[in-house]
Amino acid sequence: MSAVLGSERPQVVSHVQQALSYTVFDCKWVPRSARLMCLGSAARGTGVIQLYELRGARLEVLREIEKPKPIKCGTFGATSLQQRYLATGDFDGNLNIWNLEAPEIPVYSVKGHKEIINSIDGVGGLGIGEGAPEIVTGSRDGTVKVWDPRQNDTPVANMEPVQGESKRDCWTVAFGNAYNQEERVVCAGYDNGDIKLFDLKTMSLRWETNIKNGVCSVEFDRKDINMNKLVATSLEGKFHVFDMRTQHPTKGFASVSEKAQKSTIWQVRHLPQNRDIFMTSGGSGSLHLWKYEYPAQRSKKDSEGSEMGVAGSLSLLQNVTLSTQPISSLDWSPDKKGLCVCGAFDQTVRVLIVTKLNKI
Amino acid sequence: MPLWLREHSWRQTLTAVYLSLPLRGARATAANIFCSEQYLKVSVPPFLFEAVLYAPIDDTNSTAKIGNGNILFTLYKKEPAMWDSLTLANADKEKLQHLRENAVLKAQEKAKEETKAKKITKQEHKKYALEATMKLEEAERKRIEDLKEKEREKVTKELELWKNQQKDGDKYNGIQTKEELHQEIESLKERKSEKMNKTQIPNEGSSKTRLKSTRGHGSCSIFSQDLKEEQLPAPRAAATIKVNFTPRVFPTALRESRVAEEEEWLHKQAEARRIINSDLSELEDLKEEEKNPDWLKDKGNKMFAMGDYLGAVNAYNLAVRLNNKLPMLYLNRAACHLKLRNLHKAIEDSSKALELLTPPVPDNENARVKAHVRRGTAFCQLELYTEGLQDYEAALKIDPKNKIIEKDAEKIRQLIQGAMQSS
Repeated sequence: MSAVLGSERPQVVSHVQQALSYTVFDCKWVPRSARLMCLGSAARGTGVIQLYELRGARLEVLREIEKPKPIKCGTFGATSLQQRYLATGDFDGNLNIWNLEAPEIPVYSVKGHKEIINSIDGVGGLGIGEGAPEIVTGSRDGTVKVWDPRQNDTPVANMEPVQGESKRDCWTVAFGNAYNQEERVVCAGYDNGDIKLFDLKTMSLRWETNIKNGVCSVEFDRKDINMNKLVATSLEGKFHVFDMRTQHPTKGFASVSEKAQKSTIWQVRHLPQNRDIFMTSGGSGSLHLWKYEYPAQRSKKDSEGSEMGVAGSLSLLQNVTLSTQPISSLDWSPDKKGLCVCGAFDQTVRVLIVTKLNKI
Repeated sequence: MPLWLREHSWRQTLTAVYLSLPLRGARATAANIFCSEQYLKVSVPPFLFEAVLYAPIDDTNSTAKIGNGNILFTLYKKEPAMWDSLTLANADKEKLQHLRENAVLKAQEKAKEETKAKKITKQEHKKYALEATMKLEEAERKRIEDLKEKEREKVTKELELWKNQQKDGDKYNGIQTKEELHQEIESLKERKSEKMNKTQIPNEGSSKTRLKSTRGHGSCSIFSQDLKEEQLPAPRAAATIKVNFTPRVFPTALRESRVAEEEEWLHKQAEARRIINSDLSELEDLKEEEKNPDWLKDKGNKMFAMGDYLGAVNAYNLAVRLNNKLPMLYLNRAACHLKLRNLHKAIEDSSKALELLTPPVPDNENARVKAHVRRGTAFCQLELYTEGLQDYEAALKIDPKNKIIEKDAEKIRQLIQGAMQSS
């Protein structure tokens, strides 16, 4: 672990704090702006989408939209920069894409799953990466489905349990490896600790492993490059960083794991401007900022001559406790380095600034 | 008897009395001098000097200088007046005594007051020190707060700057894109009109050209859209991937696992095997192998299989004497007793086996099922059907898929119902 001098460490400064009148499940920055979205569930069981703008030291509500079902997750990943449509998954299993200028009727709507959509991710939009824009949703009914907004009603890929198999809740999904028009990979984490990597080009399961504890969040360090690193966080305070460049035929990907907090690690998010820095948020209301260091050699040959990866090391740059309740959602701003928003179960959303990231 | 010092000399002014006491060879310290308002005593063994003064003096301000073989007292009078003599002339014993006692009391009081005053000053000093440290800490904290605030302000300013840049950028972009679109449309129009001009049959009316141009205009936007859509690949061909999940005994995470209990069970088993209850006197005439409980257990099993239940019981008895912590011995002995129709003993043994088979883990499931079934059978044969049913249901709980146990449980239920109906 490299030592960072006390005065040179990045500091997490709380910029604005806003109390909400509903439970916030997800918060996302609107790309190319100083606006953010909060998605959640109001006390009377309806869904809420709120649009805020960061003005000075306050968050001002620009728009508040109410929907019949509570909303669990949302993403801007699959829309173009001009349109900026929000794709949301709700408690009933509906996937909707909204135009925030005219939010009464969704641009795209499908009842994708039988149970709550736990996690959603989008790729191909926002000028990042190549290929068709696609959205993946993971649900409690054990299936992971990939949707194309141009195709109604049926998913373009469906990862479901074998007939007769008892299903496990899918808790998190992430896109990766989208470096050209054909390649794409979906990683899904389940509540029994399974992590599965599906290759969408060959429509097959590329790799799977089990990390013993339920997987709360997975993320690739970049969606639009040849897959480099994957971070998977789980219950009981552990998270694993897999080196995805070298896949060994039997051992899979090399990994390093860290036990950071005593409680569940709810989210991991990589800094968009530096793919080796990521932040994890925990059930005790704390945020940890990590840096991954690559090993001297990223791959080596094992006894039979096949290539296997070598995992690097992690160092903790900073940690801070903001709340007594779990911080369930976290998002870095893609436009301003160090600006991030986090939403916690104490019904507050906080805008934070992480300083000195240039010096890392 | 102390020696009285009489060779003192004194002189006075209006306000002070100067008394000089020669000390012949003796050394004096401040402790030897006792002075109060009207009484002065110097005791330097073996010398003693005592004086009841003519008038009261201010004993706090008065001084005594010790040195050069004598003590020089400077006593400040309370009332400026000339004294007739140093001491009170007609002082009788009682008065003297009284005065002495007073003096002592006064001195004591003075001492008390002094200690009090000292205490108070000490406390004040402490308070002062505390306040000073608090101030220092406050200053430190404030400094840190200020640093943080400065960081925040800096960052806020940067944020505002960036935001304004964004806004300007957006406007600029907006204008640019509009301009670009205009240009695109213009160029497309030109191209279209060129094409149309080329393909147009010369004698077509102007109306048609107008129509064509409007269509051209409409198709311009479609044209540009087509271009954009062509850049995106078509939606993927739909497919399904089937997945299998890693099986788990318990639906939630590691924290629910029975790892701890399983370890305990294994540990217990290991311990049990190691115990040898040696009862040396009786065991001396046994062969080596007969002292091994496992060997005895095997012997017992074989005899049971052949139908020699009594022999089996003997074998198990001996084994139990050697090691009374092996549940399997009790279990098998219970089976023998059942066959021998020693039902009470069968019940006893099954119970003992069940006791030893804690903690309940998947490892000892089979054994527990057997124990319950045997005990249940014994109860039923004793016509204690309800207890028997309880045991059968316990067995079913552990092993729900066993058909034989189910059937037997059903039979018992019917028996009970029959008995209830008839009684």
